[in-house]
Amino acid sequence: MKDIKIKVNDLSLYYGEKKALNEITMEIPANKVTALIGPSGCGKSTFLRCINRMNDLIPNVSIKGEMLVEGIDIYNKNVDVVNIRKKIGMVFQKSNPFPKSIYENIAYGPRINGIKDKTQLDEIVETSLRQAAIWDELKDRLDDSALGLSGGQQQRLCIGRTLAVSPDIILMDEPASALDPISTSKIEELIHQLKEQYTIIIVTHNMQQAARTSDQTAFFYMGNLIEMGKTNSIFTNPVQKQTEDYITGRFG
Amino acid sequence: MTSHFEIELEKLKGIIEKIGQLAESQVSESVKILLQEPGVAEEKIIKKTESKIDKLDVKIDEICQSIFALQQPVASDLRFIMSAMQISNEIERIGDLSLSIVKKAKNIKEKHDLIVKFSVGDITKQVELITAKTNNYFLTRQESTIGEIFVLSKEIKNKSEGTIHEIINEMKTNSKAVVSGTNLIIVLKHLERISEHCTNIAEYVYFMVNAKIIKHDKIDDILPRE
Repeated sequence: MKDIKIKVNDLSLYYGEKKALNEITMEIPANKVTALIGPSGCGKSTFLRCINRMNDLIPNVSIKGEMLVEGIDIYNKNVDVVNIRKKIGMVFQKSNPFPKSIYENIAYGPRINGIKDKTQLDEIVETSLRQAAIWDELKDRLDDSALGLSGGQQQRLCIGRTLAVSPDIILMDEPASALDPISTSKIEELIHQLKEQYTIIIVTHNMQQAARTSDQTAFFYMGNLIEMGKTNSIFTNPVQKQTEDYITGRFG
Repeated sequence: MTSHFEIELEKLKGIIEKIGQLAESQVSESVKILLQEPGVAEEKIIKKTESKIDKLDVKIDEICQSIFALQQPVASDLRFIMSAMQISNEIERIGDLSLSIVKKAKNIKEKHDLIVKFSVGDITKQVELITAKTNNYFLTRQESTIGEIFVLSKEIKNKSEGTIHEIINEMKTNSKAVVSGTNLIIVLKHLERISEHCTNIAEYVYFMVNAKIIKHDKIDDILPRE
């Protein structure tokens, strides 16, 4: 039986009166890549942000239902949101390195978590950058400003920064949409390698990217989860007509 | 609004319909020449149609290649394009076999007597029918047609094998019949192959519609249950 990392039961989200997610139920397997697809405003990014409680930062948001991560409902009052975000890292559409050196970008998180030992920090920086497939490019310029890197390098640095605090789950919100094809290909290859150790959930508007990178795909439309299944099935023989219309570009 | 992509798909569908109709008429013409004495004019028509089929076959490959490269089709579009390439390939082979039937028919002496004696006309009628049904299946996608195609193909194969057996027996006792008999056997094998190409096309149409590959399935598993 596949190992379920995240189980979502009847999760609804409201922005004030407006229902943005409608009773979503799904299971996200561990060590797999799950792609969330759908037109703009369908709720996929809102859903992604529910997984690490990023929506808590938005006023007037209320949530019903359960979001069980390893069996624990992260919306339970007793759960510490900081611990959740340590466990669940996030990479955004636009790379957002700190205005610090490459080294400090990676060491920042572990330092906040109490790691002071220089040797240990050095080790984390190297491991994280290696995992982010950027060590060879940056190892000789760790003291340079991260802001001087290319867009693709910055994005991989941000992935490395996420890995430095040893999360279990990585959320990616259109991580390659602002990158050129070569950088995109590096990010996609990286996603493929990272899934051995992490559970990855990616929001993308790029159908081919969802098809190339993910093991399973969930299609959202107007706040509803229309269909979820193996990526191969979704892109060769989707069950729902709405899914077929969306992925073949005949929507609306 | 119809998208550029949908226009391309419609164009491709139109060309497959056309190449299918050409193959159907090619089979009918070659059968006509086989059953009657060939005239030079008729053979010219066959060669001309063959050349048209070849050109459309290449055209279909080019369109499919372009759609794969530029549109990255998925789901039913992907299945349609995959099927289009395969169907075009099968049709091109039907065209080749039809031409070959006409060529072999020339080497059959006392053709009329042999054809009557071995009831070749019964088989050619069925081959014409299966070709027409296959075209119809692509056009209408009517599920019941695939069963009829498979049943016909089986009948053609059985009849052809029986007839070939009779021809061999004739050749054993009558050495003068060897050359004509051999050519007639080749013609029968070609007719059998045409019907097999038709079942292959039917399998691709089935895949296109139902997303299920049935290439190596048994006929009974494909036919709808009573």
